[in-house]
Amino acid sequence: MFLKEQMKLFEQNKVVNWHEHVRGDRSGQLDVEQCDLLVESAQKAHMDVLVVSRPISGGSPTPDEFRTNNNVVAAAMKRHPGIIQGMAFVNPGFKKEALAEIDRCVNELGMVGIKLYNQYFISDPVLRPIIEKCIELDIPILEHAGKLNLVPNPQPTISDGTHFAKAAKEYPEGIFIEAHIGGGGDWQWSLKAIADHPNVYTDISGSVYDEGIIEQTVHYLGANRTLFGTDGSFSQSIGKLLGANISQQDKITILNNPAFARYLERGRKG
Amino acid sequence: MIYDVNTYIGHWPFRQLRNNTAEGLVKKMDEAGISVACVSSVHSIFYKDTQEGNMELVKEIAPYQNRFLPFAIINPTYPAWKNDFLTGIQKMNMKGLELYPYYHQYNLTCPESVELVRLAGELGLPVHLPCAVVNMRQRHWMDTQENLDYGQVERLLSLCPDTDVIITNGPSDIIAQKLQKVTRERKGKVFYDFARVEVYPIRGAKTNFQGLVAAAGVDRIVFGSCMPFQYLEPQLIRLNEMGFEKDDLEKILFKNMTYIIDKESANVL
Repeated sequence: MFLKEQMKLFEQNKVVNWHEHVRGDRSGQLDVEQCDLLVESAQKAHMDVLVVSRPISGGSPTPDEFRTNNNVVAAAMKRHPGIIQGMAFVNPGFKKEALAEIDRCVNELGMVGIKLYNQYFISDPVLRPIIEKCIELDIPILEHAGKLNLVPNPQPTISDGTHFAKAAKEYPEGIFIEAHIGGGGDWQWSLKAIADHPNVYTDISGSVYDEGIIEQTVHYLGANRTLFGTDGSFSQSIGKLLGANISQQDKITILNNPAFARYLERGRKG
Repeated sequence: MIYDVNTYIGHWPFRQLRNNTAEGLVKKMDEAGISVACVSSVHSIFYKDTQEGNMELVKEIAPYQNRFLPFAIINPTYPAWKNDFLTGIQKMNMKGLELYPYYHQYNLTCPESVELVRLAGELGLPVHLPCAVVNMRQRHWMDTQENLDYGQVERLLSLCPDTDVIITNGPSDIIAQKLQKVTRERKGKVFYDFARVEVYPIRGAKTNFQGLVAAAGVDRIVFGSCMPFQYLEPQLIRLNEMGFEKDDLEKILFKNMTYIIDKESANVL
């Protein structure tokens, strides 16, 4: 077996995965098989908690669509209590419905935060009421992100570090997570942009495992602003953390970031 | 013991790399138990005259000759490409050919490319086709916006049926499925690494890796790290999670690669 000693990091410490997804089947219900496989794989890899969401990546999702997807997440939470926790996906373009859905997901379904996709930059004024609602509820905002240097840009309103920095400056009480630093294009760009904004965090998920990405994340943000996540890339995300030349204590902090423990605890009680 | 089909030495113009010297790479190889690595020059991708990078590479690895198999990067649309290739093989002890059509801006099926790949086959040398060097989503604004064109690879395999080919650092399961038909119809073998292939069944009962095995067979899968660009550990985790018994695992770790090395050694050395 390879990495036997290194894998003890996962075996011997609590591991919270802050970025994963469940799916729906054709009828809009939870894809139970995929959900169970995800949990089985996570347990095999010694992950204790999976924070999952079900965003819609294209177009402008309607309230019915995001409510249906959040029900899928709620079903996953119910199927694997204590392991799966949820984040609510909303489209900020539907202000009234989005705010009501956040209330429902957090206060009735026990979700621990919200997940936004690329419908709007996180610094777009449309998001102000959403951010203010999250501050009121004391929940984090995880938003799909990346600095893509592709021409044409396939995601013209995807947020990068500069958008997070702007939102964080406007709302210093907000808790923002720039999603998948390993799946969001020019990660050096984003790290440098958010470095001086202590209320912006990132998760290490994504299929990119460039040598040095974790060291630079910790260099710019510190381990206390870095979360473990996978986003569909288990071997890459586990491997890049194991391979990083950072302290063991920093790795333990990333695996179960104490700054985020209260969200999980509140979700469990809910 | 591990044989690694995909490593580099040299500076990348768009990001600082660590362990990108022969000494640094050998240190990482020792840590992971990699005995031998195919290696090429990053500089050859960017120099107008690729041979300058090839010569730098040979000089750099000279103190570690038993650890590296140098692959010559050749641009078949640049003057004297054939002479450079043959010089590399006959005088610089190059062990294979590596092509970057998406950097050197040619079609793999252009006459010169086909002639070069056929020549490699006649000499018993493998041709390495990396799908990419870095993930395009994070490209520098001056970097290429192209990856390896699988359609061109399919036609090249058909036009050069005797040449062994190694395809790395891409969605190998998808590529192997696309190339399944043409691969069956040719004498030369096609090998794939698993640098971008997930082994955990998190999206469905069948993993990407199982798809690769189904399309290519375990006899055609090799280990490629893409060091020093990428962390090595994800590959080692994949090896753990493949679920193979010792015999199949050894094929992936080094036995499949031994075929390539032995074949070219018999023909060239």
